[in-house]
Amino acid sequence: MTDIPMSSEAQPRSNSLLSQDARTRKRNATEKRFRMYGVIAIGIAMAALVILLTSIVSDGAGAFRQSYLSIPVALDAETLDPNGNRDPAEMSKVLTLSYGKVLDKAVETAVADSGIAIEGLTSSDTSNLISKEASAQLRNHVLANPEQVGQTVDFNVLVNGRVDGYFKGRVSMESAARDANTSPQQLQLADALKEQGELVTRFNWNFITNPDASDQRPEAAGVGVAIIGSAYMMLVVLFLAVPIGVAASIYLEEFAPQNRWTDMIEVNISNLAAVPSIVFGILGLAAFINFVGLPQSAPIVGGLVLTLMTLPTIIISTRAALKSVPPSIRDAALGVGASKMQSIFHHVLPLAMPGILTGTIIGLAQALGETAPLLLIGMVAFVREFPAAPPEGLWDPASALPVQVYNWTQRADPAFIERASGAIIVLLIFLFCMNLLAIFLRRRFERRW
Amino acid sequence: MYDINRAERAVTQQDIKISASKVQVYYGDKHAIKDVDVEILDKTVTAFIGPSGCGKSTFLRCINRMNDTIPIARIEGRILLDGEDVYDRRVDPVQLRAKVGMVFQKPNPFPKSIYDNVAYGPRIHGLSRNKAELDEIVEKSLRGAALWNEVKDRLHEPGTGLSGGQQQRLCIARAVATAPEVLLMDEPCSALDPIATSQVEELIDQLRENFSVVIVTHSMQQAARVSQKTAFFHLGNLVEYGSTDDIFTNPQDSRTESYISGRIG
Repeated sequence: MTDIPMSSEAQPRSNSLLSQDARTRKRNATEKRFRMYGVIAIGIAMAALVILLTSIVSDGAGAFRQSYLSIPVALDAETLDPNGNRDPAEMSKVLTLSYGKVLDKAVETAVADSGIAIEGLTSSDTSNLISKEASAQLRNHVLANPEQVGQTVDFNVLVNGRVDGYFKGRVSMESAARDANTSPQQLQLADALKEQGELVTRFNWNFITNPDASDQRPEAAGVGVAIIGSAYMMLVVLFLAVPIGVAASIYLEEFAPQNRWTDMIEVNISNLAAVPSIVFGILGLAAFINFVGLPQSAPIVGGLVLTLMTLPTIIISTRAALKSVPPSIRDAALGVGASKMQSIFHHVLPLAMPGILTGTIIGLAQALGETAPLLLIGMVAFVREFPAAPPEGLWDPASALPVQVYNWTQRADPAFIERASGAIIVLLIFLFCMNLLAIFLRRRFERRW
Repeated sequence: MYDINRAERAVTQQDIKISASKVQVYYGDKHAIKDVDVEILDKTVTAFIGPSGCGKSTFLRCINRMNDTIPIARIEGRILLDGEDVYDRRVDPVQLRAKVGMVFQKPNPFPKSIYDNVAYGPRIHGLSRNKAELDEIVEKSLRGAALWNEVKDRLHEPGTGLSGGQQQRLCIARAVATAPEVLLMDEPCSALDPIATSQVEELIDQLRENFSVVIVTHSMQQAARVSQKTAFFHLGNLVEYGSTDDIFTNPQDSRTESYISGRIG
């Protein structure tokens, strides 16, 4: 594009500076064209980004809002505490099924009291208005507050996913007519309850704090366990990959002799950076689970696999950062009698810090979004239990954010698509924060020389 | 301000500080220094002159073993500092460099404060017992480098914020602060303007009272102005070594004569 065309005959040079000669015009036109290509390229990239973000946000924003039905629930003492001594240990023998009956009755009473009359409304329409998860919610609440048995308490009950979807625009009267899980009458009832203020849609903290839920109750599913699993893995990566990576690169860059061995190591580190991530998953499965015998689905294994995956990224960027420190600084330090180690740790490393931090955070962000290797080490499992606090919790089963997204997109209920997009938003927020931190640290540590 | 007569002042002391014999340096297959024998006197400014690539900087860097950092460099022969071979297996180059300070071609202050730049050497060598002593060393070194009056009010500002000449004097102060016995200067004025150059040259003349100074320079005028002894290098050979006065007025070798009269270089 920037070739200089050789013409056989030299063109006469125009004498006036005020008029452009043909050659100048041509060069200017080339430059203008090139700038235009650049603008078009950026335009395409920006458009792709905007389309991606709008589609995710429009799909996923619903996950952050949730409809609840606020009704008085009469906690029948005979059903919930047959022995009558309010001992949570004995009350825990009462199954969720009994709580479901209590709730059904409460919903029926509430609907009857509200005086809403809808033609063709069946009793199953009424009782299915609330989530299947609601009885478990109520049971947990009662076991935590046994003294409330026998009283009537106001309780916020999760609404069925279809009804919830109706308020978010995912379900319509037409689709409900074809749907075995809901009916237009049920939606009309929900509308009427909403008008009376008993059914409210508000911000859904439970999406952030709840664990995953089963296929029938998307309204209860949350990313709590996935966030904790991802956080634990990031901890493992941070504590393993950063020291190992930085130490390895300092040794290779500053101390290692230049010979065939170090050349080979160098080439192989670059090769490792290009290995597909699923290969690291197979390695993790073979080495950490089958050979070492670490538990499946555990953040420690995920963290170790991601450490292996992140190491080359960290090593390559750290070496580049070390290389970019001007040699005059090393000379200066050696010249006043600093040892090699002192010159590196007092002068070279502080100057390389912004580059090292940026590389590390980019490596961590990459690890945070990695899915494939985690599928192979069992982190795709359905985990309802929160892992314990670290360090023991690292050995407990957990999920991870990207795997949770993958998991939810596999499920049948369209409500899970909304949840998956919501989880993507959470993941993107985390990545955004990490990149922001990288920029901040870069600014903070940057020094001129 | 400085003319050639300056060099005629008597060399006050004649103790031999550095004695090199049969020094050979190879960079891989390239024979960079061939059979150099030279005796550098204490409390004297010795100038190394010669055309680019003649090995004068290489030889300078042999004296404090800075060439150790270049993996392909190989050195043969002996360089004695006060009678001790600096290439003896028992010599720790770090200890040697504390004794033989170095100032580089391009001013290279650490990206730290002026104070920390000067205090770095004394700190790592444990030359001071407390803050007061360190302050004293810093002040003395900065005074020694004729920089104190310019920076005494902004000791905690970054050293990289100084002008080029000030930065180079800061580097000299940094080298002086570790109390070396020999000061090696590798073209210390090549990045400086004439005013800064004359300041540094004046400083070099003062430093002669306490150190043996070896300076590599491209400028023959500078060699004539600041040095008492001059060595002329050509293609890795030490062609001629003698008092600056003799080299410039009565060169023995035809190559020296051609160089100083500007015919080769």
